[in-house]
Amino acid sequence: MNVLAAEGEVAFKATTNGIWFVEHAWIVVLLPLVSAALILFLGSRTPGKGAVYGITAVGAAFVFSIGGLWHFVEGGGPFEGSIDWFTIGPLHLELGVLVDGLTAVMLVVVTAVSLAVHVYSLGYMHGDERFTWFYVVLSLFTAAMLTVVVSNNLIQLLVGWEVMGICSYLLIGHWWEVKENSDAAIKAFITTRVGDVPFMFGIIALIAVTGFTTTNIGEVSHELGLGEVSPLFVSVAALLLFGGTVGKSAQFPLHVWLPDAMAGPTPVSALIHAATMVAAGVYLIGRLFEVFLLADEWVLTVVSIVAAITALGAALLAIVQDDIKRVLAYSTLSQLAYMVAGLSLGELGLTAGFFHLFTHAFFKALLFLCAGSVIHAVHSNNMSEMGGLRKYMPITFWTMLIGSLALAGIIPLAGFWSKDELLVVAHEEHATWLFVVFLVTAVITAFYTMRMVMLTFFGEYEGEAHPHESPKTMTGPLIALAAATIGVGLLGAPQLNAVFGKWVFFEEIHEAVFVPWIAGLSTAGALLGLAAGYVLYRERKARDPLQAPMGPAWNLLQNRYYIDEFYMRAIVRPVRDTWSAGVNWFNQVVLDGIVDGAAVVTRWVAQLVAWFDRTVIDGAVNGAGEVAGRTGNALRYLQSGNVQWYAVGLFVGVIALAVVFIRVV
Amino acid sequence: MTWENSAITIATLLPVVGAIVIALMPKSREREIRGMGIVVSGAALAIAIAIAIGFDYGTDGLQYELDLDWIGAIGVRYHVGIDGISLPLYVLTFLLTFLCAIYTWRFVPDPGRTRGFLALMLLLETGMAGTFIAFDLILFFVFWELVLVPMYFLIAIWGSANREYASIKFFLYTLFGSIFMLLGFLAMYFQGPDPHTFDMVALRDFGAGGGFSQTFQLVVFGAVALGFAVKVPMWPFHTWLPDAHTEAPTIGSVLLAGIMLKMGTYGFIRIAIPFLPYGAEKYAPWIGALAAIAIVYAALACLAQKDLKRLIAFSSVGHMGFVMLGIATLTEIGIQAAIFGMVAHGVITGMLFFCVGSIYDRYHTREIARIGGGMMQTMPKLGGVFAFVAIASLGLPGLAGFWGEIMALLSSFSPSEVFLADRVGLFRLYMVMGGIGTVLTAGYFLWMLQRVNMGALPDQWRQAGLRDVLAVEWVSWLPLLALILVLGLYPRLVFGVTDDAVGGLMRLLGS
Amino acid sequence: MDVDYHALLPEFILAGTILLVLVVDVFLPERTKWFAMPLGLVGVVASLVAVATLIGAGTRVSFGGTYVVDEFALLFKGFFLVTAVVVLSVSLRYFREGGFYQGEYYFLLLTSFLGCVMMPSSRDLLLLFIALELVSAPGFLMAAFRKGDVKSNEAGVKFFIIGVLSTAVMLFGMSLIYGVTGGETQLAEIASALADVPGELQTLTYAAILFVVVGFAFKVSAFPFQFWAPDTYEGSPVPVAAFLAVASAVAGFAGLLQLMFVAFAEQHEFWVPIFAFLSVATMSVGNFVALRQTQMVRLLAYSGIAQSGYILMTFALVTDDAASNRTAFAAGVAYILIYGIMNLGAFAATVAVSRRHPALLIADFAGLRETAPVIAVGMAVFMISLAGVPPTGGFWGKLLIFQAAIERGGGLGPALAVVMLVNSVVSVFYYLLVPRQMFLREAADRSRLRVPALVTVVVGAATIALVGIFVLPNPVARLAEISSLVGLGP
Repeated sequence: MNVLAAEGEVAFKATTNGIWFVEHAWIVVLLPLVSAALILFLGSRTPGKGAVYGITAVGAAFVFSIGGLWHFVEGGGPFEGSIDWFTIGPLHLELGVLVDGLTAVMLVVVTAVSLAVHVYSLGYMHGDERFTWFYVVLSLFTAAMLTVVVSNNLIQLLVGWEVMGICSYLLIGHWWEVKENSDAAIKAFITTRVGDVPFMFGIIALIAVTGFTTTNIGEVSHELGLGEVSPLFVSVAALLLFGGTVGKSAQFPLHVWLPDAMAGPTPVSALIHAATMVAAGVYLIGRLFEVFLLADEWVLTVVSIVAAITALGAALLAIVQDDIKRVLAYSTLSQLAYMVAGLSLGELGLTAGFFHLFTHAFFKALLFLCAGSVIHAVHSNNMSEMGGLRKYMPITFWTMLIGSLALAGIIPLAGFWSKDELLVVAHEEHATWLFVVFLVTAVITAFYTMRMVMLTFFGEYEGEAHPHESPKTMTGPLIALAAATIGVGLLGAPQLNAVFGKWVFFEEIHEAVFVPWIAGLSTAGALLGLAAGYVLYRERKARDPLQAPMGPAWNLLQNRYYIDEFYMRAIVRPVRDTWSAGVNWFNQVVLDGIVDGAAVVTRWVAQLVAWFDRTVIDGAVNGAGEVAGRTGNALRYLQSGNVQWYAVGLFVGVIALAVVFIRVV
Repeated sequence: MTWENSAITIATLLPVVGAIVIALMPKSREREIRGMGIVVSGAALAIAIAIAIGFDYGTDGLQYELDLDWIGAIGVRYHVGIDGISLPLYVLTFLLTFLCAIYTWRFVPDPGRTRGFLALMLLLETGMAGTFIAFDLILFFVFWELVLVPMYFLIAIWGSANREYASIKFFLYTLFGSIFMLLGFLAMYFQGPDPHTFDMVALRDFGAGGGFSQTFQLVVFGAVALGFAVKVPMWPFHTWLPDAHTEAPTIGSVLLAGIMLKMGTYGFIRIAIPFLPYGAEKYAPWIGALAAIAIVYAALACLAQKDLKRLIAFSSVGHMGFVMLGIATLTEIGIQAAIFGMVAHGVITGMLFFCVGSIYDRYHTREIARIGGGMMQTMPKLGGVFAFVAIASLGLPGLAGFWGEIMALLSSFSPSEVFLADRVGLFRLYMVMGGIGTVLTAGYFLWMLQRVNMGALPDQWRQAGLRDVLAVEWVSWLPLLALILVLGLYPRLVFGVTDDAVGGLMRLLGS
Repeated sequence: MDVDYHALLPEFILAGTILLVLVVDVFLPERTKWFAMPLGLVGVVASLVAVATLIGAGTRVSFGGTYVVDEFALLFKGFFLVTAVVVLSVSLRYFREGGFYQGEYYFLLLTSFLGCVMMPSSRDLLLLFIALELVSAPGFLMAAFRKGDVKSNEAGVKFFIIGVLSTAVMLFGMSLIYGVTGGETQLAEIASALADVPGELQTLTYAAILFVVVGFAFKVSAFPFQFWAPDTYEGSPVPVAAFLAVASAVAGFAGLLQLMFVAFAEQHEFWVPIFAFLSVATMSVGNFVALRQTQMVRLLAYSGIAQSGYILMTFALVTDDAASNRTAFAAGVAYILIYGIMNLGAFAATVAVSRRHPALLIADFAGLRETAPVIAVGMAVFMISLAGVPPTGGFWGKLLIFQAAIERGGGLGPALAVVMLVNSVVSVFYYLLVPRQMFLREAADRSRLRVPALVTVVVGAATIALVGIFVLPNPVARLAEISSLVGLGP
């Protein structure tokens, strides 16, 4: 069953050299899973505390992924295989892999970055008290991400999806001694879960389409393809699924968690919060593209609007950050928005969007690792405490410069080609306003990138620590990724007949075209941004040169448009503090009150009945008792006049019964 | 008497014998007493496992069936049997009790008196296990009530500060509910097939075939459901639970949450719905509503709890809400989800109560604020286990907690076409509430972990010499921890058992 | 005049024993007065054997149908004699150490039991009256047996006066019956005679029935005639209280069963509401007042009142349908038997405690699990059984009545069942007070409590019996079934 080429017009090669790797793609997933288990149980008893398992496993996985990609390089076709998982009533679940060009590319991206991060962390996390645990989660995350990538069915995908989430939670909160970190971790998990709930409902809706018989993505797409489902249903389902993207890929309005997620160790930020997990949201749309295309127009419009807002808004936020990681975080938001926007453009956009995902993964990971290297050197995230570092750490400087230029979109680096392609698609699809957004964002991107580079590496060093170049274990990955950053862009270069487009496409291959004026325009924009950044930050100033001119706008950006604060005041605090207290009160006072009240009432009744029993019925008798008690002589009591009382009590009882039951009066 | 027809009887009654033996042992032989507890519950577990191995998973019929005359005078029979619906809960009962016995090897709550403690625990085991195999209404009721007295004493004698209030509340509240259930049973006996019978198979076939009049069903379903609802406990009949849990000794809570609550939900699946389908049809939307409320309500209540154990207790209310939601859909998927949810909740929440028990054993407080965080520093293993179980409890896919929830939500997306075709919108609303519940659930569990596990270690605990997980704890916990993972990755372990039985039930109800 | 001596053998043996005790007592020196007890015990056991010989011997009629020995009679005779054994056993030390007139006591006690044993065979108003008086008269004396104790005097006098007055009312009723039936005293004859009473006498008939019922209502301490019970029980020696609560009350029920199911069966439309009212009021008053008791014997007294209410309910379930009547009858009988066991047990346990704590406050039971484990466990079982919760026989007792109520159906049945349900939930609260004292509290004096062997035996036996009945209730249910009077009337 072949999804992306459902009505496959494309002729595929039957057999290739890579076929074996494709058919055994499950091994790629299994490797890091096994290593995670190994590290967990043997890690602490292994020299080097167990990182070796992870690196080996992920390395091997990387090799396998390259093998898999090779299959498509040779023009091979998609492959799907699965085994039974379990059955519940009519619903049949399977464990399976679906490998097409898209999957193959993602496998390479994930394993490559993961490998780099695994190695890099050797140096960066050196001496960390939870070093081994860190590698456990790192490997587990890789396995989860790979699960998502290869899943051929929705539930399996959801499993990987959520496990990624919990890994992200664990790694953000890796240094949980500090409350800010655990706060950020919780914020990340909950915020993404807010998106995951609609996502889950979307999945349920898709399963419902098949009459609760299967969760297989291909069959779902097929069912939808028959067009028996109402467009509205599909549209709602698509929108619900998009919720997952908004959460995981940190799109507006659920973007708030990603910047805080920078509380985690930098390698984590590079792997999870830049290259892979956050890209899963984009991948999701691609994987379920059929649904989005069958949905009404407005769904994709919503998608593109959300993306546009995020792209522009986040880029602006990046301008005012002092924390170098936050600059990159907001840049990530905005770049992810690029991809989402690209996909919202339809079939052409799919290729373009994923190409940007592909390139971005490399240069953004590179940038983060560089940032990490810097932080490692100066023991601070704040660029105000950096400056002039190019003298102390040349390798970091040059690699970061390459990454930055790639991000800015300077030919011939990776970023240029993908952005250019997005612009071209936007143009071809006549989405002029998106075209403009792309362009403007590109300018801003170039600007804040330059700002970052200047503040970090130029001028004089401002910090206390003694900066030094990082160890080989860290610079190695930097160089590797830098090389990739230079290289991978060419895969999509129309001049080199854009091979990427031959791997990742929807239903039919579209030749990428090179539109000179667009390329020129984007390059010009990038250069403009860079220039502005250079001019403004050439020599360091105490206050940011933009602060004065921007005025209130500056504060607005400093406070992230007050969105976080709004959530805190309008949702988190009320629910966590007010509502919960209210419910608890209701429970203790009202509900429990009723229960205890029943007991109290019973006691009252008891009192009443007892009183009745004692006074009304037995009163006389008691009186008698008193007398007898006082005299201590029972016989006196016979004359004591109480006998009449007895008689009265007795006969009253009898008469009462008689009146009631015989109705004699 | 062959193995086939006596196995479940032996397994169920063995604990009583053990209880008597233990009660007669000399008080001084402390170690032997505890050992005996482990041996007896272990033997019972072994038999239960043998039963599970010999079980034919390809059919929806009763197995290991035994049907003897018990009280001919009033038509009560000793009719026991086991099918795919009972088996998971039945085995779980023995497993949890066995682990509790092991746990008791090291931890006997004040004021000691191990003999009584273990004897009552074993008596409780019989009551719980019997409920799941009884196929005569009166026999069912007898086992059902049999758990009251032991649990009452477990809470009242070995409980903490406010134990007397909690224990009497537990006793009276559940008795109150169950007594109306009894009336319902008797009513079914006299309105049922001629000759009158308490036999649950006969009554099921009779009722599922629409034997009972509609008004009768409406009334009796209400009575019976009340009894079950209190036990589950469904909102708003849950208020006995937090008190009972908070005051009960650790294993009391483990068994209460692990097994006892399931007796209620099991009752719905086994008796209320198949016997009174029309009543079920009419009540289902309301049950679903209460379930949905319970999910959100409990989650919010959890956010407000300051006592760790009370928090876990409230979380049970929410989880049972998911179970009831699945049942309320009256679909095959929903009911299987419910059974899975029961098992998962039994394993996870049971394990959570073990954790809380051990935390209390170390800190001598359950107040989150007094623990003050940093447990991962002093006791990384305990902290890790606690975190793992908590994360399982918030329904992380790949762990046991997930399947019950997702399948319940899935089934509430489109409830039974036969019974609830015109209620789809309503149930989708419940689904949404359930979804909100999952977010809040994640919220309070992670917040709990942050306040207990994470953060800097308060000074007063630095020198407290808190000891990390002990050997005996590992022994009694590992099976559960393993199950949490295995059930999560290989849910067929339960679904494979329930599929045929529930399918048969559904066919009987004509859907 | 036909006399079946074999059928009367138990009564003869008992009567002989009574005389023997009376005579022997005269010659016994003070120290050995207690010897009257084993003597009486032998006699009781002998007559029990005599009863056993009659089992399966079919229905034996004497004195022209006025004295019948059938399964019903045998069952109750057996029950009373066993009760006698128990009461004698728990009396021995109590009366030896209490410094009572032992000889007289045993004489009186056995006489009362003779009355009990006669009751279920008496199918004639006069015989019923005699039997009832034979039960009561010695009771008046025994109730006041703690002569030194004011309370005891009060108890005796009070009991006496109430008894006499109630007897008067009953006798009045009986004479009216005699009148309207044109001189019938045999129950069976009365039934047929009442069938064709002229309309203008209808009301009179009803009044008569009412008065007779009232007379028995006192015996079984039904509301509003229950007030003597708590004071009398509290005042009397504990074994006497046990006798009053079990033997005397059950004797009342035995008589009531015969009257209602044999003589007045036809008039049930009239008296069913009366019993409905009596049972509801009685069980409610009993339970709710019991909630507030702090003294053990008073608690047992009110619990006994409540239990009477449950039993009275089975009368209120009578309809035209013989089948459902049979169920109701059987339920009533079964409940009476089980009630007897658990109440005797409870009183025996109380006797055990009374040796250290004469005041017998509930609080005096604190820590009993330590000072007297067997008694404590037994008492717990009795309380749980009285509450009607598994694993005890009391559970079945209640269940049978529920079942009968539901089977009767038609509004009243279920309504009564619900009332009884609510009542039994309420009752759990005070019944659990006792185990709570015994198991949750510590005794002030933690030394071992010396319990008379016989008492321990009684408690143990009752405990085993109750748990046994829970496991195998069949025998009780069967006994109750076969010993049915339903349909004996015309």
